[in-house]
Amino acid sequence: MVEKIVEELRPFFDPKAVAIIGATNKKGKVGNVIFENFKTNKERGIFKGNIYPVNPKLDEIDGYKVYHSVEELPDDTELAVISIPAPFVPDTMRQIAKKGIKAVIIITGGFGELGEEGKKMEREILEIARENGIRVIGPNCVGVYVPDTGVDTVFLPEEKMDRPKSGPIAFVSQSGAFAAAMLDWAAGAGIGIGKMVSYGNKLDVDDADLMEYFIHDEGINVVTFYIEGVKDGRKFMEAAKKITKVKPVIALKSGRSEYGAKAASSHTGSLAGADTIYDAVFKQTGIIRAEDFEHMFDLAKAFAALKDKLPKGDRIGIITDGGGAGVMASDAVARFGLKMADLSEETLRYLKENFPPHAVAGNPTDVVGDTDAERYRIAIEGFVNDPNVDAIVVIVLFQVPLLEEEKIIEILAEYQKKSDKPIVAVAMGGEKTERYARMLEERGVPVYPTPERGVRAMAGLVKYAEYLRKGA
Amino acid sequence: MKEEALKVIESVLSQGRTAMVEYEAKQVLKAYGLPVPEEKLAKTLDEALKYAEEIGYPVALKLMSPQILHKSDAKVVLLNIKSPEELKQKWEEIHENARRYRPDAEILGVLVAPMLKPGREIIIGVTEDPQFGHAIMFGLGGIFVEVLKDVTFRIIPITERDARKMVREIKGYPILAGARGEEPADIDAIVSMLLKVSELVDDLRDYIKEMDLNPVFVYEKGKGAVVVDARIILKEPKKEN
Repeated sequence: MVEKIVEELRPFFDPKAVAIIGATNKKGKVGNVIFENFKTNKERGIFKGNIYPVNPKLDEIDGYKVYHSVEELPDDTELAVISIPAPFVPDTMRQIAKKGIKAVIIITGGFGELGEEGKKMEREILEIARENGIRVIGPNCVGVYVPDTGVDTVFLPEEKMDRPKSGPIAFVSQSGAFAAAMLDWAAGAGIGIGKMVSYGNKLDVDDADLMEYFIHDEGINVVTFYIEGVKDGRKFMEAAKKITKVKPVIALKSGRSEYGAKAASSHTGSLAGADTIYDAVFKQTGIIRAEDFEHMFDLAKAFAALKDKLPKGDRIGIITDGGGAGVMASDAVARFGLKMADLSEETLRYLKENFPPHAVAGNPTDVVGDTDAERYRIAIEGFVNDPNVDAIVVIVLFQVPLLEEEKIIEILAEYQKKSDKPIVAVAMGGEKTERYARMLEERGVPVYPTPERGVRAMAGLVKYAEYLRKGA
Repeated sequence: MKEEALKVIESVLSQGRTAMVEYEAKQVLKAYGLPVPEEKLAKTLDEALKYAEEIGYPVALKLMSPQILHKSDAKVVLLNIKSPEELKQKWEEIHENARRYRPDAEILGVLVAPMLKPGREIIIGVTEDPQFGHAIMFGLGGIFVEVLKDVTFRIIPITERDARKMVREIKGYPILAGARGEEPADIDAIVSMLLKVSELVDDLRDYIKEMDLNPVFVYEKGKGAVVVDARIILKEPKKEN
């Protein structure tokens, strides 16, 4: 049986046909960019549905027949994307209801965020939606981006904003601008996004609905949220508790304290801030809180690769070819609440027997600057077989002269695949290093540019694994 | 539990008040099994003398007035009263202080309380968040809460695991765990209090707006804890049409 929420939201992500209400041939206009996105994806063979531009004043755009009204639309229309001025939206919603379309993305702004008149329109729209079983994303949003199906309502043209490849990360953002900037950045960083939803004023579809949906989305194994505020706290907590037991959720929360101006009559009231309350909510529901944007995607990257290979404990083994980087990583282990693994006698003996005398067996293990890939293999083999090690951070300074780049990449990928212990890599350096890092990531090893960030990402995996074992 | 607490709440609301005095707040806490001292509300000096005898000297006096919620500002808490003679004298003094602070203060009585052995001070509080509902707070008392704001919150209801984590996650935790050779504090007693407060507020969420148990004295492991002072602010009752 298909879950109700999956049935309801499916047309947003994979519609049989999409109507673009407000489509136009004027370059750069929102209604034109969205139409172009679908058209281009159709030409690429990614978007497989039909595209129906709607505009009362046009007959044809780029060879596509234009419909003059919602009423005229073919019956296979499953999704309506609206980019007409706000005052016309309620009437359009009525026509949509009549037509039987059940999914609507309202890109248009100028509603609740602008005051009472807009709020009145929002209420009207919501009423029509509720009465007719229509789900609404928006208004005041950039909508949906799904690379696998070619749905792309992001009204920033491709020549100005790159789109990321597909991947197991879902990204949900209240803010459209943030969502767009993030997609562009993810594209540049090689991070794959399976689904992006920006819900703006979240008149209807909200965080809780999306969490419920993503529980059942097999292509997604980690969900990231950029949250400014939650409307229905209890519903949010219920949904969050459900999904975090199945897949990790990472949240970045911003927004000033809503309490600032309110005079509290109790001591406790004066100490509670929006931020402390969200902290509590995240802790109780198993949501992992990201400190900032960078942290959010560091974590997402780790989970995307290692969600099914979480560490069994918090004892970290560190392998490095540079002493300084090893020290930085050890410091980070303490700072992020992890433990340095105590290597077993057997491992130490194995390493010493196979290392040249100047390499350092221990934790960290330093294969030193004249290392080749084989010496790394020995170290990794030792750590992987040591029952005292739960997870491994491998620092690779690709710059050292004897290290065969392709071979070390091969070795790391091989152990990531065959061992049940998660491995994250740290590669510090410039353009050349970045290229190798990208190759490593394509082989399933998440790579971080500093030891701190690598260890912090690992700490996220450890914390989530503990949550799965013991609860919030 | 709920019925007893509701009786107190309804009585306060029927007097047109939303701020409970300490005595009333403690009755609500007591209904849910929270540890409060053996205190009695005296309306007359004779009653006060009788209660002091029962409790045993030294005692403390705390004047209860809905208009005086910051008792120390008004000097209506007098401690360490050692004899009936002293009690008679302090009885006058406490009433005079109240009149000086708020001439119109309505006096519900004077709480006669045992002098408590000092313990490590903690604070437990409740506030209501507009999105997530009631939240419970825990922290160490005194400067830890005033200056360092070393507190942690959870949304009510909480589990025992939540309560244990709250205790452990404040920065001042080593003070409770036993720093510098001190005996560890009764952490089980704190956990039990947090759970009881959570249960109380979960039951009475339609009535309770905010709550402070401040301070609570926590004694050494196995020796429990006691609520020294408490405030409860009720929600404005919904107008019936």
